[in-house]
Amino acid sequence: MLKLEDLTKSFEATTVLDNISLDLESGETTVILGPSGSGKSTLLRCLNLLETPQSGTLFIEGDLVEFGGKLTDEQVRTIRKHSAMVFQSFNLFPHYTALQNVALAPVLNGKMNKKDANKLASDLLDKVGLGAKKDSYPDNLSGGQQQRVAIARALAVSPDYLLFDEPTSALDPELEAEVIGVLIDLAREKRSLVVVTHNMAFAQKVADRIVFLEGGHVLYNGRPEGFFSSTNERIRRFLNIFETV
Amino acid sequence: MNRYIELWIESLPQLLEAMVKVTLPLTLIAFVLSLLIGILATVMRTRSNVNPLNWISRFYVWVFRGTPLLVQLFLIFYGLPRLGITLDTWTAAIITLSLNTGAYVAETFRASVASIPRGQFEAARTLNFTKMQTLTKVVIPQAVRIALPPLGNDLIDLVKGTALVSTISLVDLFQSGRQVAARTYEPLAMYLEVAFLYLIIVTILSWGQRYLEKRSSRYVRSANA
Repeated sequence: MLKLEDLTKSFEATTVLDNISLDLESGETTVILGPSGSGKSTLLRCLNLLETPQSGTLFIEGDLVEFGGKLTDEQVRTIRKHSAMVFQSFNLFPHYTALQNVALAPVLNGKMNKKDANKLASDLLDKVGLGAKKDSYPDNLSGGQQQRVAIARALAVSPDYLLFDEPTSALDPELEAEVIGVLIDLAREKRSLVVVTHNMAFAQKVADRIVFLEGGHVLYNGRPEGFFSSTNERIRRFLNIFETV
Repeated sequence: MNRYIELWIESLPQLLEAMVKVTLPLTLIAFVLSLLIGILATVMRTRSNVNPLNWISRFYVWVFRGTPLLVQLFLIFYGLPRLGITLDTWTAAIITLSLNTGAYVAETFRASVASIPRGQFEAARTLNFTKMQTLTKVVIPQAVRIALPPLGNDLIDLVKGTALVSTISLVDLFQSGRQVAARTYEPLAMYLEVAFLYLIIVTILSWGQRYLEKRSSRYVRSANA
């Protein structure tokens, strides 16, 4: 269970998220849509505390944090434990092999010894279809492969929520498909996913819930059917862009 | 020409002795110290929220990069006694060379850390690494690779900079060559020999640098091409 109440985030004079409240059920795939600059990435980054909101409350799997003052390292770590982030630009550690990238966090977080972490990493790489690339460095992998390693790395910390920040925006269509394939598998397993994307087909076919942001406000929050048949003028205008492309 | 060759062979032991006893140890000691100083200055500059530490670090780099090594050497060896601080030649030479090189090393380290993409830090944060883990597992391994070429330059400058210690009467490779030149009236032959010996030291160091660069760049595709 992930719950946001009255979340506000601004960068200097610009309010990016304006009093956002949101409930996300466990086991659901939530897709966050919106025009660029609507605050969707910022919202996602707030869930993992890569950005610290100025006010509001974040409740995630039994842990609660109220924004306003300075958060302690302990608070941040507690909240962060519940989620893992997959970035648009992958952000793999270039000096580690695929296997080392995945195995690193469980060891450093003190959850596993090296042997168990390597076993886990190996299994996770098999799961994303990269068992044969265990010992490759990121620089020798395609973008799609790098992103799949990044997904395995996020899975390795066994997060309650997997956060995807435009995971396919840096990829060409063929590579996008292989990453989307992994996301679909995860959604089928009833993992809790929160995905910021421009991939409408994914939103339509896989999402359990669509959140549409515009100017830091939630304009739509509900089932995809309702979203794609919405008569809201702003939403129609947004959807038309994708239909004409 | 025969006269030159005789002279070179005859003077070589003396020059090598000065090189092994003064130039090389001075370089080695000063370089190790300058690495420590560089790390300290970088930590003070980048990881400190306390402004005075940041200022001290910037002031140090500003002064020691901004003034000639020779002037620094004279200030420390000839100037400080006026304040009651008298250092022997070795101590003065080591302190000056380390502080001077340390300022360049500090800039090298700072630039290397600054060139690591933001996304690396963000990835480490979302994976809940501690600050120390981020530093030792993510930042330093990548920064070292980036720092190697400029660090090699800093070291080579240091080797050549040691020649200045002859001015405070240390008999290094250069001073030793000077003595032979004065005795034999053969400045061309002697300084050619001295230059050649410096060239050999620097060449060997460059090989070492290239080896380390290759080793630390195994994960980068373009470096193997």
